[in-house]
Amino acid sequence: MEKLFRDKKAICLFIAPGGILFTIILLVPIAYAVYISLCEWNALTPPQFVGFANYIKLFTNDDIMKTAIKNSLFFTTFSLVTQQVIGLFLAVILSNLVKGKNLFKNIYYLPCVLSSAALGLLFSFLLNPKMGLNQILAIFGIQGPLWLMDAKGFIPLPMWVIGTVATWQYVGTTMMLYMAAIAGIPSSLYEASYIDGANKWQAFKNITMPLIKPMAKTTISLTCIGSLKFFDLIYNMTQGGPNHKTDVLATHLYNEGFQYFKYGYASAISVVLLAMCLFVTFIINRSIKVEDYEM
Amino acid sequence: MKLSKKISISKILIYTFLILLAVVYIAPLLWMFSVSVKTNAEVFSSPFAIPEAIQWENFQIAWGIGKLNIAIVNSIIVCVATLVCSMLFGTMAAFAIGRMRWKLSGTVMTYFLLGMMVPVHCILIPLFVTFAKVQLNNSLLGIILPYITFSLPMTIFIMVGFFRNMPGELFESACMDGCSIYGCFFRIGLPLAKTGLFVTGLMTFVNNWNELLLAMVFISDVDKKTLPVTLTYFVGPYSTNYVQMFAAIVIAVIPTIIVYSIFSNQIVEGLTAGAVKG
Amino acid sequence: MRMRKVLAVLLSTAMMTGLLSGCGSKTEEAAAPAAATTEAEAPAEEAAPASEGDVEITWMFWDDLEATEDLMSQQYAETIKRFNEADNGYHVNVITTNLEEYDTKLNALIAAGQAPDVWICNPGPNMTQYVEADVVMDLTDVLAKDTAWNDSFTGGIFERLTYDGKIMGVPTNFAAACVFYNTEIFEEVGVSTPTTWTEFMDVCQKIQDAGYSPLSISAGTPWCLSMVAGYLCDREGGPDNLKGVADGSVKWTDPSYVNAANKLVELSKYFQPTYLGDSNDQATANFYNGEAAMLIQGSWAISQINGNAPEMQDKCGVFQFPGVEGGSDPNRWIVKTDNLLVSKNTKNVDACIALLKEFTGETAQKATAEIAGKMPIIDVEVDYSKAPKQLSYVQDIMKTLTGTFGFYNESLASVEAGDKFDNTMVSIVMGDITPEDGLADIQKFYEENVYNK
Repeated sequence: MEKLFRDKKAICLFIAPGGILFTIILLVPIAYAVYISLCEWNALTPPQFVGFANYIKLFTNDDIMKTAIKNSLFFTTFSLVTQQVIGLFLAVILSNLVKGKNLFKNIYYLPCVLSSAALGLLFSFLLNPKMGLNQILAIFGIQGPLWLMDAKGFIPLPMWVIGTVATWQYVGTTMMLYMAAIAGIPSSLYEASYIDGANKWQAFKNITMPLIKPMAKTTISLTCIGSLKFFDLIYNMTQGGPNHKTDVLATHLYNEGFQYFKYGYASAISVVLLAMCLFVTFIINRSIKVEDYEM
Repeated sequence: MKLSKKISISKILIYTFLILLAVVYIAPLLWMFSVSVKTNAEVFSSPFAIPEAIQWENFQIAWGIGKLNIAIVNSIIVCVATLVCSMLFGTMAAFAIGRMRWKLSGTVMTYFLLGMMVPVHCILIPLFVTFAKVQLNNSLLGIILPYITFSLPMTIFIMVGFFRNMPGELFESACMDGCSIYGCFFRIGLPLAKTGLFVTGLMTFVNNWNELLLAMVFISDVDKKTLPVTLTYFVGPYSTNYVQMFAAIVIAVIPTIIVYSIFSNQIVEGLTAGAVKG
Repeated sequence: MRMRKVLAVLLSTAMMTGLLSGCGSKTEEAAAPAAATTEAEAPAEEAAPASEGDVEITWMFWDDLEATEDLMSQQYAETIKRFNEADNGYHVNVITTNLEEYDTKLNALIAAGQAPDVWICNPGPNMTQYVEADVVMDLTDVLAKDTAWNDSFTGGIFERLTYDGKIMGVPTNFAAACVFYNTEIFEEVGVSTPTTWTEFMDVCQKIQDAGYSPLSISAGTPWCLSMVAGYLCDREGGPDNLKGVADGSVKWTDPSYVNAANKLVELSKYFQPTYLGDSNDQATANFYNGEAAMLIQGSWAISQINGNAPEMQDKCGVFQFPGVEGGSDPNRWIVKTDNLLVSKNTKNVDACIALLKEFTGETAQKATAEIAGKMPIIDVEVDYSKAPKQLSYVQDIMKTLTGTFGFYNESLASVEAGDKFDNTMVSIVMGDITPEDGLADIQKFYEENVYNK
């Protein structure tokens, strides 16, 4: 048994296809991007090495970067809280549902299979002052706010709106993963606990919670990383506007690279983004300890 | 008596909540469908009204103009090839990382997970330049390879969890019966991880079905374009043809919903099957 | 032990075959592009496939030629069709993307050494970038030799396409920004077209009192608002303003810019209530639906207006953007050309030039005016009875034109500077920042990014 699972050749064979593909298609370009982040480059003329100038500018003299970091952090926190709470809540309710379990699950997961670009467009329509939600509110005599254009406040309204739409779209993934984890818990464990006189809440706290912890780590990591590099919805709903108030790291990167052709600067942003993702993953790995339960 | 009443009240509350939430989920999508059967003028004048006359021809026009028949075939080729390869490579790597014992498994895992953190924009230009050198741009393979690569981290991430949490006794007894490591993987690991495979498979398929940026930049030929790219045909430089675009979106959504309903039902079956055998 | 080894080999081969069969399409695909490399990009125009021996070139464009509703793009499609059907020994293949991804893709192609032979490009910093990267062919000599072709162009049209005395591109049409107005509303309210700022404000006030939105504009699409801001900046300070900020002799915080920004804020009272969220399409729709009395837009909006509301053609008038008292010349117009650039590395110069000539030829240019409603760039007889009515109005009032300038955001130091201008104007109008602070912000940007270089 031990020996079988230490078979080096088998390990190599299992890792090789993915590993090779990964190195060629991802690592080499990333390494190149790191190099480019030290250069000034517009993709048309050869890159010019400028040292850390891009990074220095990024952190000392770029107001949009400050906004972008603020918004990205807000967006990540918002998504994390809403998706964990709502996702787990839905997963527990649906798992215990006798009738309509699949129906509701399928409905809530549906937006995850649609393209963010299309949904972004759809919601920018719905939140448009002339044709959307505000017209419905107007029937009740309420003057709706400018959902996507209000720039006031530390966290402007559009960020909350986009956060809500993102939760609407992606909470299904969290829910689905938690449901899969809950379904993996043998029902005998619950039966045993009920025989011992536990109520539903106690069973949830003492059986479900510890046993879905590995999945919690998974979903938290996925949400955090996904939110940090979030792009599609924001780009399609506000394009970072008005005046960069809703820019996040990825939209800032896109603007610098693909609108202003400052690929060096954009690469520097992407390196920062990468570093933030690594840091967050590191924190999550440190703070959530997963014990191996043999079920 | 008292107990059953309490339960039924909580049941009603739960179902009311679930139904309300379902409305929140379905209403925008229904609205999208209603836009796709309106005229452009109607969309601007009365966006919420029920369409005056159903404009089925929007679909017909969108199908023809967007060359959706070619695009759908391309999308299917790309997505299926990506799905098969990324699932195979991903689970193989995940099995080695999650189940086998070796020193570097943690490092390799981190290495793969790096892929999830890379914003696609940051490698777009370097990748394109490299692919152009080996004549891989403007071909379906040129987007399949990056798609596989980008799908791997998620597959590995989720599958490692599944392999780790599998009961060790099963593998032990298989070993006793003289099963090789490959047998362990194909005959025990894979069937047991069925649930995970369906979840990741669905995610992989859907992500790649909707991917726009790479496909847009890499593919130039009309007869190699994928669905999301053709959807952008309807956005013009000075004005957008909303109804036909939404019609095309609706057409593009249908296959994902079909795949989705197949997979999502399988997940439940997979779960029970795995539980019985396990 | 040995048995196990054999099994391992067998399994690994099984895996490899699985791998290959799983990507069956992959291997075929891999072979295909290798075979097709000699033929450059495969044809996008299926109507007329390249005949044997035709020299093939590629042209890149920012709208799909078949799906487009834009009348100008449709005319481009016609031109391409004509070019390919003609027995000239050339065939052009078209690469299209949507506008959003156009620059990304073009830059990627150029970076990879696969630049299209001819591509369409905006004037200003966007074009400058390609010229400075030395990927654009200098057309001066070609034009100098071909006097007939050279002479056909309208005078002064190459002004913004000339770098260091070298002509780097050829225009295909031009559009002018003007004020469209609803004649019915104007009659009902009893006002006539304004020529000065005071009159303009007066007209707006009266229209507002009558219950209409005086002006329809989109701040959701920042360049629409910035177009008005650009007009005001030029009306205040004239051509010196743009030149001045480029070389640093005029500051963004100088009175003429401050006045312009204040006037923009003053004007914003008369925008439709939803202007902050409205997109470009919606702002135009407000006008043709009769909710707003005026629309400040480029002449490309004509086809959109008439296409969506045919009855508008009879009640849509045009006047030029009013002058300001104490300001500069009020007869200067914002114009914008679409331009074709030829790749420096093209192997088929003759084919490229032939294509340019097709685009600037009489047939194409007549259609530009008569069908697409844009202004031709050569001196050609246009039958204005065929063209949209508004186009002839524009042509009429343009007779007093004394000078032209580009969109402000396309006339500044870089694409980024243009964006900075657009966004600051939006912020100022929203009341997010005062005009003085906003302009100081642009000045700061210029000092850090432009003058220091």
